[in-house]
Amino acid sequence: MFDRDVWQEIFNTLKTNKLRTFLTGFSVGWAIFILVMLLASVNGMENGFYNQFNDDATNSIFVRPGTTSKAYGGFEEGRRIQLENDDVEYIKQSFPEDVEYISARYYANATARYKDETGSYSVQAVHPDHQAIEKTLVVSGRYINEADIVNKAKVAVIGRKVAEDLFKNEDPLGKFVEFNGLSFRVIGIFTDDGDDNAERRIYAPISTYQRIYKNTNDINMIALTYNPTYDISTSLEFSSRLEDIMKRRHKIDPEDQSGLYIFNYAEAYDNISSFTAVLKGIGIGVGFLILVAGIVGIGNIMVFTIKERTKEIGIRKALGARPSQIVNLVLLESVFITAISGFVGLLFAWMILAAIGPTIQTPAFSNPSVSLSVVVTATIVLVIAGVLAGLLPAMKAANVKPIVALSDK
Amino acid sequence: MIEIKDLHKSYKMGSNVLHVLKGINFKVEEGELVAIMGSSGSGKSTLLNILGMLDGADSGEYTLDGVPIKNLSETKAAQYRNKFLGFIFQSFNLINYKSALENVALPLYYQKVPRKERQEKAMKYLERVGLKPWADHLPSELSGGQKQRVAIARAMAAEPKVLLADEPTGALDSTTSYEVMDLIQKINDDGNTILVVTHEEDIAHMCKRIVHLKDGIIVEDKKIEQVRAEQYV
Repeated sequence: MFDRDVWQEIFNTLKTNKLRTFLTGFSVGWAIFILVMLLASVNGMENGFYNQFNDDATNSIFVRPGTTSKAYGGFEEGRRIQLENDDVEYIKQSFPEDVEYISARYYANATARYKDETGSYSVQAVHPDHQAIEKTLVVSGRYINEADIVNKAKVAVIGRKVAEDLFKNEDPLGKFVEFNGLSFRVIGIFTDDGDDNAERRIYAPISTYQRIYKNTNDINMIALTYNPTYDISTSLEFSSRLEDIMKRRHKIDPEDQSGLYIFNYAEAYDNISSFTAVLKGIGIGVGFLILVAGIVGIGNIMVFTIKERTKEIGIRKALGARPSQIVNLVLLESVFITAISGFVGLLFAWMILAAIGPTIQTPAFSNPSVSLSVVVTATIVLVIAGVLAGLLPAMKAANVKPIVALSDK
Repeated sequence: MIEIKDLHKSYKMGSNVLHVLKGINFKVEEGELVAIMGSSGSGKSTLLNILGMLDGADSGEYTLDGVPIKNLSETKAAQYRNKFLGFIFQSFNLINYKSALENVALPLYYQKVPRKERQEKAMKYLERVGLKPWADHLPSELSGGQKQRVAIARAMAAEPKVLLADEPTGALDSTTSYEVMDLIQKINDDGNTILVVTHEEDIAHMCKRIVHLKDGIIVEDKKIEQVRAEQYV
């Protein structure tokens, strides 16, 4: 394989047929280029989808109330379901093994004012566990704690954007800000990787807001995370148990799809994974079909080369070349053209991806790139492709009869 | 060295069967210089191809240096060709992108001789045919006579038992032909067995024995007084 004689031969044929070699190689390079770009695009879509979830824990489940669509347990249909504080406790006690963090959410809007600055923001009144569920990153100060809940303290954790808007260059920590006329003390500032909108949010203790709003026990939804060691099937099984028990508690028909919404990220993840897997499959399929065209091209050119060199092969055989040596020569040449042109295609695709990939950051498409495993796979595919392309011509070459090749009279 | 008994060979040409060799009996001792003569279609090239293991016989026996040559696989045939035979062709059949030296070294490559040793040996044979200064030249930079001398050096490089020359002077003018024959005679003087296929009387008479083929059988087989080519050079 690393024989100078063999390589001299290969380079000679390539050199005497530069254009032909280039055109053939181009088809394979192009095929690999498309294959890699397709895979990178699927990868980009995948990244885009997953980024949507990025700011939440991936093992989270959200429970939202709805309106029943079926009469059940003596109630008519069209009944609005209302979640309350007790529901949180109930879930906690029903699934001590499964639930990792749990928090209620109470939504409100607030017109916030600090000195001359005002702004309208959404407030999420939550439990301390909410920080872990939403993966909220507190950059200064602290998050809401149990004491705030018990004391119904008028404290707030504000997003970075809120702090910028209201406080300009001042340090908001410890300052008092008015929400709809009520004074709240800023105890923390948070950032969010997900998006800027999340940073226009304000967190407050749930008990405080429930007291402000008519001393209610109502909550808008429950967010929780389950045991992170669960795999997809365990987590789906858990969310269905959770659904059953919550439906029973609120007297909703088990078949009723709209009385209660349980949203499990694992399920969404699962769906997206299978979706992108299908896309990937299509990408690979299309790429391979194009590659097949390239392989046929190389095979075609090798047949020509053999035909042109019939006489030379005859001479070699007369001088004692074994058929296997001829086969090796042809195969090596074929693999060489395929591999080199494939690598050029790979390199081009990689350079383009490296140059523009990181700049693409849209919600549905982000940082298309190829992994090392794709490159390795492509390499293996190329070598196999080269062998396949050369196989038939090589057999043909090995069967050249020296007597026929040498008859020149 | 070579022994042939009742050799038959026929070719199918469509529905016709062309009987080319019709029972050849023939023996060559070591160190002989034999000319095989005959008009075209007499079967002399077919005989040479069979002797060179480039083609198989339909029936009959062929023994080369005590080894029966029969039903060879491609690989085996290649090995025997490499070990036993050196070919010299009318059209030289040098590989055009290899230098004279590399062409001579090619049979040694197929004997798996290490590169360095290969080159030394090839250089030795090039020197013997008087072409050492042209070692790095490509065939296209050599004259016809020089090309044939390179081909002879290549045929000898593997140190075969028998040299088979198919019309070695067919593409050369008479002066060059004599030079080549002079070289062949000298190689024969060193004890090498050589078979020359030719249809030229003067070339045939520079051998030591003439075998005349006609319509697939040997019509005449005689030893002759060798004419030395040296005097014409």
